[in-house]
Amino acid sequence: MRWSFILNIIGMLILFLGMCMLFPLFFGLYYRDQSVIPLAQSMGITLASGASLMVVFRREKVEHISHREGMAIVAVGWTAIGFFGAFPFYLGSEFSTFVDAFFESVSGFTTTGSSILTNIEAVSKGLLFWRSFIQWLGGMGIIVLSVAILPFLGVGGMQLYKAEVPSPVPDKLKPRIRDTAKILWKVYALISLVQVLFLLLGGMDLYDALCHAFTTMPTGGFSTKNASIAHFDSVYFDTVVIVFMLLAGINFSLHYQFLRGKPLAFWRDSECRFFLGTVLLLIVVVTFNIYGTVYETVGRAFRYGAFQVVSIVTTTGYATADYERWPAMSQFILLLCMFLGASAGSTGGGMKCLRVMLYLKYCYKELFSLVHPRAVKRIKIGGRAVPEDVVRSVLGFMGLYVGLFVFSTVLIAGMGVDLVTSIASVAATIGNIGPGLGMVGPTDNFAQIPYLGKWVLIWCMLLGRLEIYTVIILLVPEFWRK
Amino acid sequence: MKVLIVGAGEVGFHIASHLARENKDVVVVDKDSAAIRRVSDNIDVQVVNGSGSSPVILQEAGIKEAEILLAVTDSDETNLGACLVADLISPSTKKIARIRHADYDGYHEIFREQAPHIDTIINPDIEVVKTIHWLMNVPGAVEVGEFADGRLVFVGIYLDGSARLSGVRLSDIYSRTGKKSPLISAVVREEELIIPRGKHRLKAGDLIYFISKKESLMESLSIFDKQVEPLNRVMIVGGGSIGFRLASLLEGDSVHTKIIEKNPDRCSTLAESLNKAVVLHGDGSNQELLREENVQDMDVVVTLTDDEETNILTSLLAKRMGAPKTITKISKFSYFPLMSMIGLEQVVSPRLSAINTILLHIRTGKVLAAKSIKGEQAEVMEALALETSDIVGKPLKEIAIPRGALVTGIMRENRIIIPTGESVIAPNDRIIIFAKKQAIPQVEKILAVKLEYF
Repeated sequence: MRWSFILNIIGMLILFLGMCMLFPLFFGLYYRDQSVIPLAQSMGITLASGASLMVVFRREKVEHISHREGMAIVAVGWTAIGFFGAFPFYLGSEFSTFVDAFFESVSGFTTTGSSILTNIEAVSKGLLFWRSFIQWLGGMGIIVLSVAILPFLGVGGMQLYKAEVPSPVPDKLKPRIRDTAKILWKVYALISLVQVLFLLLGGMDLYDALCHAFTTMPTGGFSTKNASIAHFDSVYFDTVVIVFMLLAGINFSLHYQFLRGKPLAFWRDSECRFFLGTVLLLIVVVTFNIYGTVYETVGRAFRYGAFQVVSIVTTTGYATADYERWPAMSQFILLLCMFLGASAGSTGGGMKCLRVMLYLKYCYKELFSLVHPRAVKRIKIGGRAVPEDVVRSVLGFMGLYVGLFVFSTVLIAGMGVDLVTSIASVAATIGNIGPGLGMVGPTDNFAQIPYLGKWVLIWCMLLGRLEIYTVIILLVPEFWRK
Repeated sequence: MKVLIVGAGEVGFHIASHLARENKDVVVVDKDSAAIRRVSDNIDVQVVNGSGSSPVILQEAGIKEAEILLAVTDSDETNLGACLVADLISPSTKKIARIRHADYDGYHEIFREQAPHIDTIINPDIEVVKTIHWLMNVPGAVEVGEFADGRLVFVGIYLDGSARLSGVRLSDIYSRTGKKSPLISAVVREEELIIPRGKHRLKAGDLIYFISKKESLMESLSIFDKQVEPLNRVMIVGGGSIGFRLASLLEGDSVHTKIIEKNPDRCSTLAESLNKAVVLHGDGSNQELLREENVQDMDVVVTLTDDEETNILTSLLAKRMGAPKTITKISKFSYFPLMSMIGLEQVVSPRLSAINTILLHIRTGKVLAAKSIKGEQAEVMEALALETSDIVGKPLKEIAIPRGALVTGIMRENRIIIPTGESVIAPNDRIIIFAKKQAIPQVEKILAVKLEYF
């Protein structure tokens, strides 16, 4: 581990983050609100910190980043980015403690969407834009973005990419990682742009359209309105947001193939079929469950049921209805959705459909071999046998995910939080969803979580975004041994 | 440029990393998932796990967009199969295959013109035999390469402590020896590669690379106090394909050759095909056998078995028993830095030869020959100066030659010019450029034509 080298790269990332603060500053200046000073101050602090890290740890020429260093850069880098991203919030007047600002910032970058804010609409426009913009940066990955546009990473970009975008079955769209990163960001930006256009068409103003597109595509879920998407109360906006949440929940390499003129790409991909099929099934079940009990017409039940299922399963976390008033079955389905998550290679969180699929197939294989003890059976996805070590790593992931979920829930519950809130707050943060149930439901916020609990949830959000291994590995003593 | 490499073995791996460093788009295909993992963990390339001769896998790897297909698996049949399939799917892709079996030797031309349309067939064994032959005949040489169709020789030698030139400045060589010095293009000192200037001093233990005309090679060597000794007796340990090729070549030179082979069947095959060479059945690492066959009286012992550890140990054993010179075949690149440390300076590697030959065919611009030296730290290239490229028509000192690169020779018609800052390269000259690894992409750029007029 060459720490001076690692800190040098982190310095560059921080510098880059500082430059990104120009965008909210522009909005702050345009609206002439009170966000200008905190934003300018934060930008100064961030740029200065990044630059001094880079100067202090000038590096010798490095050609190769080891796997370990890649993980350390990404894990430490994300924490640092969350830290510096919190300054605009902290220096503004809305957040009383630094941990609240840090929570909001990490929730933004990890595209969770859990908020401390009680009255969002009271916050200045510049800060709200920053809140949405960091979700957009974090969605496709700020490190992937820097691999794509900053020339410094060169060969090492690959290790960083692998640590930030862990995928059970990695696919590189282009031979070189830099080109792959560029393509992913271009597709991401393109779809975001299309969504902005659709929102403008429905009559949303440019500021809200940008902010909402920046939080839909990364499956983030921060809204500029207290009532989230329900504020607009429009079937058109609900539909647009549902469609784009679904798009964000699909593997971006499929979007790329689609754009390259292969319209059947979505259908051919077994994970995509599984994802869309499951979503459809859950929508139907929830619709029937809430029809009659909560909503009088099938149409309304479908509208709110579909929005909420898609919002949670893609791990976005927008709300159009207070689903805590729904029957227990629907609430439980939403809780399940938090664990399922979106597709691998999408911007969504959760366990990811691909892993769940693999897990189910593995279970079936075990049952099958009880019936046919001598059978040779390989787990296949899309007609291709999955290598044994991938299966093993997926099982390990599921185990760690559930284990960390249980562990964190116990911690939160130990701080005196009620059971439902403990379970839901951890599930909602580790899955990068946003709102949970109970005290942290869609109409509430995370302000009441105890001080230490917020730290636990910040940790959960990072775990979820970087898909466990990259973060947890820092706690393994073996990682630090020479 | 997109290059598809079938086979992630040592050759595939090194070519891939070489090309990825030069920012080319590389896709590597291999059946073995462990080999694929090694590639994807270390090099920025795309990988596809599957058989390289399968049409489905080749399509998936993007054969249609690939400019070059390199088939470099360990199996000749897979390489041929991959080229055949590639020819069916994407006839415009240039195909290069490594094919080692001697039975195919006569078919290279036919393969080019007919069915698989393989543009270039590379048999590293032939290259290795050539290199071994050079190393045997050039005293003290640890690396030898031919340029300009063999008229120029590129040689690497170690400077002995007793040599006249140790401690002498490059600019003083003439006054010290009374002979015109060959052009020293690089010096490796303590594992570091330097491009020397006139004021630099040579030190004992330096590895010196120079370029010389073939006919004046012996004279050049005498400047470095390397004396030519006639080659009379050679012992070859390992009668595989390279051993056999070498033995038949030496028969032509009327050198007394002994060839030791472990496998009795292979021995009888060798005995059938060789006329004068003595074929011995036995283990080359057996001390008794070596003593019995007078290893101490050999001029050169060449160890060429399939097992590189055996080669290394046998060479050490032979040296200890009194053999003045050994040439060792190794494959694993990680052993290269160790070899001079344990006293085995003459080393050949079929894989390095294969890489050299393949690189030559991938280089853009009109590169005619290329050889990488010192564990790929640098490369010597022979290129045709194209009329529209940046290097033509100006004195060398005005050309922005990248740092770490040096024009070491210019060939015009049949003359060879050792260039100075005032020399001007004319169109269609052949130039020899020495370039460190980092400078290669820029060198390629200045060699390439500014606009292709075809």
